[in-house]
Amino acid sequence: MSDADSNPDADANADADANDAAESGDRDYLRVADISKWYGDEQVLDDVSFEMDRGDVTVLIGPSGSGKSTMLRCVNRLAEAQEGEIFLDGEEVTAPDVDVDELRREVGMVFQDFNLFAHLTALDNVALGPRRVLDLSEAEADERAHAQLERVGLADQTDSYPAELSGGQKQRVGIARALAMEPKLMLFDEPTSALDPELIGEVLEVMHDLVADGMTMLVVTHEMSFARAVADEIVFLDEGRVVERGPPEQLFDNPEKERTARFLDRIASHD
Amino acid sequence: MSATSTLALVAADSPASVGAVATALTALVDGGAAPLQIGELEDWAFVFRNADYLIGGALMTVGLTVASILLGFLVGFPAGAVETYGEGLPKRLVESVGVVLRGTPIVVILVFMYFVLGVPSIDLGVVTLSGAVMSGILGLGLRSAAYQSQIFRATLGSVDDGQLEAARAVGMSQLEAIRHVAVPQALRRSVPGFQNEFTIVLKDTSIVFAIGLAELLTRSYDLFVERTTAVLEVIIFISAIYFVLTFTTNRALDYLGEYYAIPGGESA
Ligand SMILES: Nc1ncnc2c1ncn2[C@@H]1O[C@H](COP(=O)(O)OP(=O)(O)OP(=O)(O)O)[C@@H](O)[C@H]1O
Ligand SMILES: [Mg+2]
Repeated sequence: MSDADSNPDADANADADANDAAESGDRDYLRVADISKWYGDEQVLDDVSFEMDRGDVTVLIGPSGSGKSTMLRCVNRLAEAQEGEIFLDGEEVTAPDVDVDELRREVGMVFQDFNLFAHLTALDNVALGPRRVLDLSEAEADERAHAQLERVGLADQTDSYPAELSGGQKQRVGIARALAMEPKLMLFDEPTSALDPELIGEVLEVMHDLVADGMTMLVVTHEMSFARAVADEIVFLDEGRVVERGPPEQLFDNPEKERTARFLDRIASHD
Repeated sequence: MSATSTLALVAADSPASVGAVATALTALVDGGAAPLQIGELEDWAFVFRNADYLIGGALMTVGLTVASILLGFLVGFPAGAVETYGEGLPKRLVESVGVVLRGTPIVVILVFMYFVLGVPSIDLGVVTLSGAVMSGILGLGLRSAAYQSQIFRATLGSVDDGQLEAARAVGMSQLEAIRHVAVPQALRRSVPGFQNEFTIVLKDTSIVFAIGLAELLTRSYDLFVERTTAVLEVIIFISAIYFVLTFTTNRALDYLGEYYAIPGGESA
């Protein structure tokens, strides 16, 4: 399943991805089909379906508690859906016999609270996965980590520890850590929500670069201008259900459902 | 630690040395009539004539402490990990054994090891460890394991779950995540607890007199009995040894803690 170790130059890989994306027609690189999930008696996902092409950016929006994080976490099996199926690149992610550790090598995740390893430098944070999971040599892993930190603009912070970095820098290390595994898909769970407003820009800029490199990205965010600029599709979740989905122009400017319009109004009045 | 409180402790713990203590106390009280003479040259000379004997006891103390702490770490660390991350039967088993070991007086544990289990001696080539020494190491070591497991349970549990989740998210197994992310941080946070535990074990080694071993404190009683006027001098001498041992070890652990401290602090 993994072609990650063949090419340490991630930019070249991403370019190849972008070309493939242009060629393939079906929207089935990531296919989420009728996913339902309960925590105890509470249903948090209700028949959620959407599809993504390779190189697509899909943005999940919705009120707090609507199930956005849970949906993301089902994709890398940090949460288990009770019903429905998820396919990534033709393989069923939700199959009971899937090796979840192997799956997670191919799906990068970026967290709201960064979750950096506090005892490791930026470089080691990024190199740990390649070393321990991909079994790269120390030198190869370090080289790959360097390249990814450079990609997120942190080439001169490789020896800093998390506590010595600003929030924006921490989140960029978090992104580099996920990228170093050369994933097929990146999941972002509110990557800028914990940041001071003046630090949001540097993280969004890195995400813009990833989009330009052709990375396939499933993003939960409240940054509507980012969503409008880069998303191929917006999926609006409410109470675990997909209320409406569509391209940003349509969903933001001409929402079909009243519920969507109300949610967007509320978000807009907050900005 | 004051001389009288030490003596009171001894008297409470040991019927065997009640006689010795009574004699020693009498000496103290008698000395009180004519003011206590700490600097009595003859008594200091007596202490130094017997310094070899006391230092031999100190070596026994150090050996028992080091061996017990090591055994306690080797058993206590995995036990703490099982209590933190385990579930079901293994977790309940480890917890129960810990409760029993922590709840049983150390004298009882030692007596059980030596007289009931009859722990055998072992020949290490260079030295032979007698059955009593082995019982002492096992008893003190397992009890220390029960306490150390609680240090590690607390510090492992204090490592933010988000970091473990991030490790899982790049494809590490639970064991790898614990090993590479939780353990290095938990060990750093364990240093203060470890300092306490070391000091406690060091002092508790004296209880091996119950199985016939004479470490530093027990040997000092022998000297009280022999020369009742030298009680205070002996106590000052052995207190100095205890002080040097605890002080140097605590400083060494402080240094270790500082050396491995995470630059900028622990927030991630
Ligand atoms: N581990 C869990 N155990 C029980 N309930 C949970 C768990 N995780 C989430 N939930 C519940 O599931 C629902 C959806 O939560 P989720 O975190 O997916 O929402 P969200 O859309 O990401 O919200 P937010 O915008 O606040 O992050 C909520 O009602 C939440 O309380
Ligand atoms: Mg969420």
